Amino acid sequence: MTALDPGRPDDLALQPEASASGPARTRWFARKNRQAVQSEGWFAAALVSPALLVILLIVFLPLVYSVWLSFAEVDLLRPGGTAITIFGMRLPLYRFTGLANYSKVLSDPLYWQALLRTVYFVALFVIEAVVIGFAMALVLNAHFAGRGLMRAMLLVPWSMSRIAVGILWLGMLDADFGAINGILYRLGLIDHYLSFFSDGFTALNVLIVVYVWNQAPFATILFLAGLQSIPQDLYHAASVDGAGFWRKLWHITLPSLRPMMFLVLVLATVNGFLMLDLIYVMTSGGPGNDTTTVTWLGYRTAFSFFKFGPGTAILFTLTLICVALTVIYHRLILSRFQSE
Amino acid sequence: METLSRTGSINRRQLMAGAGALSAATLSGAGRFGAAQAAAPINFVGWTFRPDMVQGYVDFYNKTYGETVSYSTLPWPQFHQTLESRAFAGDIVDVMYCFHTFRERWAQTGLIRALDDLPGADELKRAMMPANLESLLSKEGKLIALPYFVNLYILMHNEPMLQQGGFDKPAASFDELVEQCVKLKKDKIAEYPYLPNWNPTITGTTPQFLTDCFAEGATVFDAKNKLVIDQDPAVAQVLERWKKVYALGLVTPEIFTKPSSTDVHRMMFTGRYAYHSNISNYLQTIASDTKESLLAPKKAKMTPYPGKVGSTYMWTDSYVLNANTKSIESAWKLMQFVGGNLHKDWYVQQQWAIGSGLDNVYPDLYKEPAVVASYANWVDLPTLRAQYDKGKVSGAFKEQWYPEYDARSVTILHDMIRKNLSVAETIKALVALHKSLA
Repeated sequence: MTALDPGRPDDLALQPEASASGPARTRWFARKNRQAVQSEGWFAAALVSPALLVILLIVFLPLVYSVWLSFAEVDLLRPGGTAITIFGMRLPLYRFTGLANYSKVLSDPLYWQALLRTVYFVALFVIEAVVIGFAMALVLNAHFAGRGLMRAMLLVPWSMSRIAVGILWLGMLDADFGAINGILYRLGLIDHYLSFFSDGFTALNVLIVVYVWNQAPFATILFLAGLQSIPQDLYHAASVDGAGFWRKLWHITLPSLRPMMFLVLVLATVNGFLMLDLIYVMTSGGPGNDTTTVTWLGYRTAFSFFKFGPGTAILFTLTLICVALTVIYHRLILSRFQSE
Repeated sequence: METLSRTGSINRRQLMAGAGALSAATLSGAGRFGAAQAAAPINFVGWTFRPDMVQGYVDFYNKTYGETVSYSTLPWPQFHQTLESRAFAGDIVDVMYCFHTFRERWAQTGLIRALDDLPGADELKRAMMPANLESLLSKEGKLIALPYFVNLYILMHNEPMLQQGGFDKPAASFDELVEQCVKLKKDKIAEYPYLPNWNPTITGTTPQFLTDCFAEGATVFDAKNKLVIDQDPAVAQVLERWKKVYALGLVTPEIFTKPSSTDVHRMMFTGRYAYHSNISNYLQTIASDTKESLLAPKKAKMTPYPGKVGSTYMWTDSYVLNANTKSIESAWKLMQFVGGNLHKDWYVQQQWAIGSGLDNVYPDLYKEPAVVASYANWVDLPTLRAQYDKGKVSGAFKEQWYPEYDARSVTILHDMIRKNLSVAETIKALVALHKSLA
């Protein structure tokens, strides 16, 4: 209580400076304030320390350890060198090899091919997810019968496990008995069943379509939340001024959605770069290497070939790219918005 | 224990009764004696394939032998990696399944132990087919596993489709096979008559490649497991044929991304393919599962594999024994039950042969009337046995570089087929890949 209320008269009366003149009194108050703030800080630290410890253990420690792995030569069953034990967990330190893993990864043509493919995948995925997600949000923000049901149904693709999504779409796209082929055939649009995974470029685009189907609803939900936070008065005023749909969209909706746009873009970009499960289920990086993205390459290097050093190095290059893109998005979208 | 594991709960009466019995045993000094008599609990982990059947024979085993085996499964894709991580963390799984390409690694790193010194091991070795026994030995020549089942590549054909095409018998050579397929396609009886198992997994393209090479009598790896495909023209002929059948439009492009051999064999269910090559046991479902397959009953049949010598690739998957097990006696007993003949009637082997058509390393099993009767429902057993006798194993999988070579060679082979790269370039690329890893 005292810490939060340093100027209490009874407290003050006990102090020798109490009868002193102005500057001394001010110094006393300043010192008391500092003590109070320090005391409050320690109290707060004590309160959050269990949570901090948990975060340290489950986020920071594995992160640092995986960074270390990317600079080491690792064999899971043959840990060379020493080990440290933290809270009962034994972490082998392996053999430090400096930038050797990164050098090996960056000199592999397969990595650069995978990176190009990944950039194509992410660019198309982000554009489609944002545009479709935003369009669906605009529709679902309007008043019409069955809107609640539509909003609920929207969650279905997003709430499904991506492994299940992959299996579901594999079945629908199957060249022997797939429903999509069946429908196209009955409609007379094709004269024989198509193989959607025969060609690498087609397979990559099919993956994008499936991922957009799975992820666009999440963008819709975020945009919808953003749309509902825009004051209706702005639209009424614009209507009085004679503004049409597009002018309102351009001058009111889009500027107001900047924070949400930033969030959607960051999430979509990171999700795009890290997408693994659909490839795992639907193409295994094939045909050939035509759907091998950087994430798949990293996963395969680490968990199929047991090369954990190069595997983590591959995946950390993606981390750097994601961080860089987030900074760029922030500058382009959010910084200007905040300065306005 | 039984109550807890079955129902997940225990009532107050059971708890009191158990506590009373424990107290009485402790007071009378019988507690220690009782513990010494109880069978040591054993952890048994397999990948998720027919867990109902496995649980059934584990229950039978526990009941018959008074053992306490706890069985659990891990999904196939991360099976070995998970077990390695668990071992690394100090967890001991006494008996585990092990895919053949992981055995040597596990033996070399001390995760599993050799079995030669254990009682009854020599007898089991004598009972095995020599080729399969060879497969189960480490590079040093020690027995490091007991057999789970044998994977043997075979060729099967769709009899009604061949009849529709005017063929009264299946092809006896690859040239004939291609001719028949071309006619079936031309007559619009099948869009893609030939279904080789070119899926990208470890049971797909590479075993298919080894099978086709072995069928021609070609040498892929030498005695030191060095890749020598550039020294045998028969390998180039195989690859030329692969390119040719694809260029002729006889093989569906869908095959390159099929997630597993299981998915490929389901394609045969549709009856749209004339020939299919895959692991032998898949013929069981194709030819006998009347609910799923349009080629049941027995409209799909096995054909002796064509080629100069007609050999096919086979490998043996296995059970392994943890080197750090604390209950070696009990763990070995379980190993003998699942991978041998503990019950003296090939109990587990029979279950797999009858229930899933899995082939086995023990020739005696194929004399069992129940097995013979079961096989008769889906395959001509003498033809299968003849193919088995021509089955060939490769020791290359015992090399540490093999899994990566195996996975990366698939993309090279697929690119050759799909992008029409030259056979010479392909062979060169495969040899270079091998050199970079070995």
